[in-house]
Amino acid sequence: MKIFKIIIFSFMLLIFLSSCEKDKEIDQEKPTIDLSIQGAFPVNCDTIYFGEISTLKVLFTDNVELGSFSIDIHHNFDHHSHSTEVTECNLDPVKEPVNPYVFIQDYDIPEGLTEYETNLEINILSTENSVLLDEGDYHFFISLTDKEGWSTQKGLSIKMLHR
Amino acid sequence: MSKFVVLFLFAHVLFISGFSQDKYVLSGSILDENNEVLPGASVQLSTGKGTVANAEGKYMISNIVPGIYEIKVSYIGYKTLIDTVRINGNKIYNIKLLYSPLDLQEVVITDNYAETRKKEESLNIEIANKEYLQQNLGGSLMKTIERLPGVSTIDIGSGQSKPVIRGLGFNRIVVVENGIKHEGQQWGADHGLEIDQFAVDKLEVIKGPSSLIHGSDALGGVINVKQNSIPIHNSVGGTIDLIGKTNNDLIGTSFSVYGRKNWLFVDVRATLLDYGDYKIPTDSIDIYSYKAALHNNQLRNTAGEEKNLHFTIGIIQPEFQSKFFISNVFGKSGFFANAHGLEPRNVDTDVHDKSSRDILFPFQEVNHFKIVNQSQWKKGKFKLELDLGFQRNFRQEWSKYVSHGYMPPVFPDNLSFNADLERRFDKYIYTGNLLTRYSFNEKTTFTVGINAGYQDNDINGRGFIIPAFKQLNTGVFLLAKYEFDDINMLQLGVRYDYSKIKTERYFDWFQSPVVNNNDTTYEYLQRAGQLEKSFNNISWSVGYNYNREKVSFKANIGKSFRMPIAKELAANGVNYHNFSYEAGDPDLSPEISYQFDLGLEYHIKKFAIGATPFVNYFTNYIYLNPSSDYDRLYGNGNQVFYYTQSEVFRYGGELHAHYQLLKSIKLGVIGEYVYSEQVSGEKKGFTLPFSPPASAIFNVKYQKQQLKFLENVYLSIDYRITTSQTNIVPPEEITDGYQVINLSMGGSIRIKKQSLSISAQVQNLLNTKYFSHTSYYRLINVPETGRNFVLNISIPFSGKIK
Repeated sequence: MKIFKIIIFSFMLLIFLSSCEKDKEIDQEKPTIDLSIQGAFPVNCDTIYFGEISTLKVLFTDNVELGSFSIDIHHNFDHHSHSTEVTECNLDPVKEPVNPYVFIQDYDIPEGLTEYETNLEINILSTENSVLLDEGDYHFFISLTDKEGWSTQKGLSIKMLHR
Repeated sequence: MSKFVVLFLFAHVLFISGFSQDKYVLSGSILDENNEVLPGASVQLSTGKGTVANAEGKYMISNIVPGIYEIKVSYIGYKTLIDTVRINGNKIYNIKLLYSPLDLQEVVITDNYAETRKKEESLNIEIANKEYLQQNLGGSLMKTIERLPGVSTIDIGSGQSKPVIRGLGFNRIVVVENGIKHEGQQWGADHGLEIDQFAVDKLEVIKGPSSLIHGSDALGGVINVKQNSIPIHNSVGGTIDLIGKTNNDLIGTSFSVYGRKNWLFVDVRATLLDYGDYKIPTDSIDIYSYKAALHNNQLRNTAGEEKNLHFTIGIIQPEFQSKFFISNVFGKSGFFANAHGLEPRNVDTDVHDKSSRDILFPFQEVNHFKIVNQSQWKKGKFKLELDLGFQRNFRQEWSKYVSHGYMPPVFPDNLSFNADLERRFDKYIYTGNLLTRYSFNEKTTFTVGINAGYQDNDINGRGFIIPAFKQLNTGVFLLAKYEFDDINMLQLGVRYDYSKIKTERYFDWFQSPVVNNNDTTYEYLQRAGQLEKSFNNISWSVGYNYNREKVSFKANIGKSFRMPIAKELAANGVNYHNFSYEAGDPDLSPEISYQFDLGLEYHIKKFAIGATPFVNYFTNYIYLNPSSDYDRLYGNGNQVFYYTQSEVFRYGGELHAHYQLLKSIKLGVIGEYVYSEQVSGEKKGFTLPFSPPASAIFNVKYQKQQLKFLENVYLSIDYRITTSQTNIVPPEEITDGYQVINLSMGGSIRIKKQSLSISAQVQNLLNTKYFSHTSYYRLINVPETGRNFVLNISIPFSGKIK
């Protein structure tokens, strides 16, 4: 019966080990992208105009410390992307891209913040290499990290038009 | 930690001092009518003690208390012999078995292979035979053995799974098939294992550091898959398996034919499986805030197919054996169409929901071709084994062209690859193992082994994640086994490895805007350079076994290692499915792990209990660390994940017990637990990715040799409880616990000389909606498979060649 005691004892030891291991608090929360603030832009199904300066207005929050964010604007003429949002937008018919707009950029967030409201101006030209950019359905993708490397994404369906 | 060690050493001293009585040895040889040896024949005494005849047909049972015993000797295809023996001293008892043409190939074999192996191996092992595999048949080989203590899986849909042993998977465990390490693209979470489960005769899971014999990667353990059944003398036969499943409407068959004339045998097998989209107990999936509606509860586009062929030919001589295994395993399966990885996709439901059996974009196709030769030669105290293998793993991942990042909006028509080919990996692998064993005397055996492997990896397609590379691995080891007596055994081993890797240059096929001050130029970015790295390592292992009739004890301590893989050294691309830009580090060093394992087992006639705890420490676990950075140019705006190294501490174990309540009813419980923590580095305090939660299976099994016209009848109920997993790393999510009930039942019917065996299962009996923490689809909130009826009918046939 010695063996019994040993097996039971070894498992008690294991349980003991497992209970005393967790002493350091670790961050397990993702940051959030809040598009419900007053004057948030863009939100799902919004329109952005070529040749104008658009201001990104969203609220980033995190329980410990925010990291950085990136913006990616891509055409969705083939309807490949779906937004991450509840609302459905009306998409134009599928079409071939000729000179679609592409925008990729990453941005720092000042250190030590748990809340940050963007006020980022994006200057969107109306031509590239003097060719008019394609109008239509685009995907506006916002990605945010916190200092630990947790991330959150928002993919919005937008329209981009010439005024 | 040190108290832990002292405690067990102390416990061991208690065992040794506890027993002493006169005990004798029963030995002899087992032959057939033609005096041919019958290796693998089973010998069992009425005490429950037993063994299996070795390759020379010899057996030995020691530690027998004087008395009169019933002895039972059985072997497939032969009449079982039952006799009585009187033991009052060491006794030699030679056995001759008679060929029984009426007995069929698929009779239940009650050999003691598992028991014998467990006594010889100082690491903890689990063994599954053909019968076990049939009764627990899952969507893939790994899913089938998931019930074994300490084994879990990373699943990709209903037909693909990756093996995980005690929380370690990917390149941290080794899968060996017929002596040769199986090489595919183990690093990918969405890559399954290319092995046909119907062709497996026996499977062993070695839990713990096994680098000593298996080299790099065997840190967490080894899954050893064997096709080792040799047909009996001058016989022909085969099996037809018919398989059906209701959840994904799978239909399939596996057909085998074998024959043996004197010393030559052949075995041919074909397996065909075809399945539709699998059903889950929900009508929509929450991909972020967007609710993707499902058609008929089916996970859109997860249908698939498998086509496998095997050919085996072998020569069996008393001193020499050589077998060729040639196989081709092909699988094609779709990925869930509404999200590719974490990326939500628009779906044309009219096209996708027209049929649940078609495979549309995105999907993967894998073809694995293999030729293995296993030869062994024996002369007296000397044994030589040679395994040679050639493999080609060809994997293609297809998805509709999307201009991610700076890719052109319209795919150019002057490129060498198809627009919809996302990735292609083409791998050629050459492997050789040479092993010599020399029995110095009754007590001491030496084994010397050499392993060598070379692989050539090519890539293609529009997505870049790892470069093409060539790799060489070599290792040499020495293992000494010393048996003090019949009870105590010590094993010591040391190994040296050298490996070399060379990556090839890679440039993007499209231009990206490089910004210098105010100038923007368009360039083809270089993703990978010509990197050349070499590594070496010394690993070792010390193991001790103590085997008594009622009690067994084993302890093992070992150092094992893993050479960094190409992806870890030289990745420099975007994985759009995970929104990650993965950056390798050419300065990574070989991963080193130290592990201490124990195995304790106590069994009496009706009751058994066992525990297998372990403690493990990694000096530098290679970890893909999600940072807070983004990268525009190389990462196309995605989050940067850096390969880094950190110290990791892990411990855990398995517990199992069973009690024979009535003659035909057995109660059992299996529990498993693993804890991992990164104890240094940027993610200090965090666990490791894909950590399986603790779980327990409570089982009731009814088993009867004969029930009216049915033979070997069984009914088994598994009640599985899995706890929640709250230890997570980015980008994982906490997964709730769950409880699932599985049923399995079957038996065989004999009509005249023909027998037919049926095994049926009801998986997830209550159609419970739950999430598996280690599923590839967990992050987009796809629950696990709903209720599933599985039916497998196996029809063996056999005859005799004159």
